[in-house]
Amino acid sequence: MTALYVAFGAVFGFVLSRSGATDYGFVQGMFLFERFQMYGTIGTAIVLTAPGLWWIRRRGRTALGAPVHVELKPMTRGTIVGGLLFGVGWSITGMCPGPILVNIGEGKVYAVAALAGALVGAGLFGSVYPRLQSLFHLPPIARASQC
Amino acid sequence: MGLILHDLTPLHWAVSGAALAAITLALLFITNRRLGISGGLEDLCSLALSNAYFQRGAVRSGRPWRLPFLAGLVLGGFVSAALSGGWAPTWSLGLFDSVVGLGHAGKLLWMFVGGLFIGFGTRLANGCTSGHGIFGTSNLEWSSMVSTACFMGGGLLTTQVIYRVAFAVGGGS
Repeated sequence: MTALYVAFGAVFGFVLSRSGATDYGFVQGMFLFERFQMYGTIGTAIVLTAPGLWWIRRRGRTALGAPVHVELKPMTRGTIVGGLLFGVGWSITGMCPGPILVNIGEGKVYAVAALAGALVGAGLFGSVYPRLQSLFHLPPIARASQC
Repeated sequence: MGLILHDLTPLHWAVSGAALAAITLALLFITNRRLGISGGLEDLCSLALSNAYFQRGAVRSGRPWRLPFLAGLVLGGFVSAALSGGWAPTWSLGLFDSVVGLGHAGKLLWMFVGGLFIGFGTRLANGCTSGHGIFGTSNLEWSSMVSTACFMGGGLLTTQVIYRVAFAVGGGS
């Protein structure tokens, strides 16, 4: 199975690399309303994923016969504040989490610094989680989802 | 204008969007996994940090698929470069170089600071462009639609401030 996940990741990463999602200029072009490429890519992905997901969930079984399990994401105050913060970071770096890794693969040296920052940011979040719980109405650690 | 990567012309958006949808669906249909990449940041943190948050069950059980998927993303980028004119380290940043124009150390600092926002923000929001933007929105989840609106808004605002205010481009210059 490990090889299959690597393969899925590699194809996903290759497509990200050729879509413009890993390209600083295309990401800024999206936020400047100057380039349609990223809106088209993300919009097409959503429009096609939605009916596929509906069908898989209605079928209720994976290709291998296992019951389909989709963990839903909780709505908290963090959904809003975290989303805004992530948006700031996406604009600054021109990368979201997937493209950080793809860019490292492409050979873009500065993406290593973005990864270091993202790991420190995530590490900081996890370390102060107990202190953020009441402020953002987050679930107890044991029930904190990772999906 | 092409990509920073060898000045390639990107795939048509309908093709890249369809391909991302296909992988997202295959991941669920074949391996029963919900697409999500920023959760993988926690997997990487869990290799070094021993506090309760990173050692909880959800992280331990997700690691066996997320870490290989993340490794695949790096591999995909490498293959993309190797097949299109060869792999070589680069500092090139296109628009940033022509407008903001920092040296190597400045770029590393800029990217590190942006990364802090990404790491902290995605974990607080419980997802990023993949888990919220593609999967959750397609699955009509309220939290994903709200989060996607927020990170699109945060990005729009920040880029507008950087390129239309702080380093104004296209303003007659």
